Amino acid sequence: MKVEFVNPFLQAGSDVLIQFVGGSAEYGQLAVRSAIFTSQELSIVVGVSGKIKGQVIYGMSTVTASKIAAAMMGTEVVTFDEMAMSAISELGNIISGNAMTLLSDAGFTCDITPPTIVRGLAVQIATHTPALVVPLITACGNLDINVALQETEG
Amino acid sequence: MAKVVIADDAMFMRATVKRVLTGAGHEVVGEGENGRVAVSLYSSLQPDLVILDITMPELDGIGALGEIMSMNPAARVIMCTALGQQDKVKEALMLGARDYVVKPFTPDKLLTAVNHALVG
Repeated sequence: MKVEFVNPFLQAGSDVLIQFVGGSAEYGQLAVRSAIFTSQELSIVVGVSGKIKGQVIYGMSTVTASKIAAAMMGTEVVTFDEMAMSAISELGNIISGNAMTLLSDAGFTCDITPPTIVRGLAVQIATHTPALVVPLITACGNLDINVALQETEG
Repeated sequence: MAKVVIADDAMFMRATVKRVLTGAGHEVVGEGENGRVAVSLYSSLQPDLVILDITMPELDGIGALGEIMSMNPAARVIMCTALGQQDKVKEALMLGARDYVVKPFTPDKLLTAVNHALVG
């Protein structure tokens, strides 16, 4: 998988998180993850189709998700309820939508699917290709951006 | 102050838009999670303004905009969009949308678009 597919998601993730959460968002160490991996406590799964295809998975702890949702909603999250889930889902949607613009500018026009939220410990997720993973380090905790994309043939 | 209908499939976005609008003195008279509900609410409530998300199930924002403009060519509608949907924004403006806001937006940006739509 090309590293250039990762950068739009990092840039979009950083921009969107700074706007919603404030502070800064720094990039952690790039790593390669196998096609089958154990998810974090909460994952936002977004499908990508078009000139490139695959999945982008935003992984985080429930604590981080609660803090981000609280910042987005402007209110404390006591229980991770339907509204908090909707906020986190929208986070994945907006980051991915912003990344699509950057990818389009680079010549890779794509669409995204509505986000799916996966919650639970030790959930295994399989992607078609190994993922490149970069953590975004924010005041709310780390958001792992798993990018498993490949160019569409033909 | 305006009577507003909001349609977005994300509960969070409906709540956010409602909070900003009510904080500015507007009244949210109806909320829907898809374009079909938005069209129905427009027909029954005759609001001053409709705020439509572009990507929604059943009937998307573009489809809902088209039906609302067919009912009332002077309807005031703002589109709410994620980046990466520039072509759909252009289509919406051609169909008669007064303005659009890109997510994530600040309260000021939303209210600027609302004011623009209401006076335009």
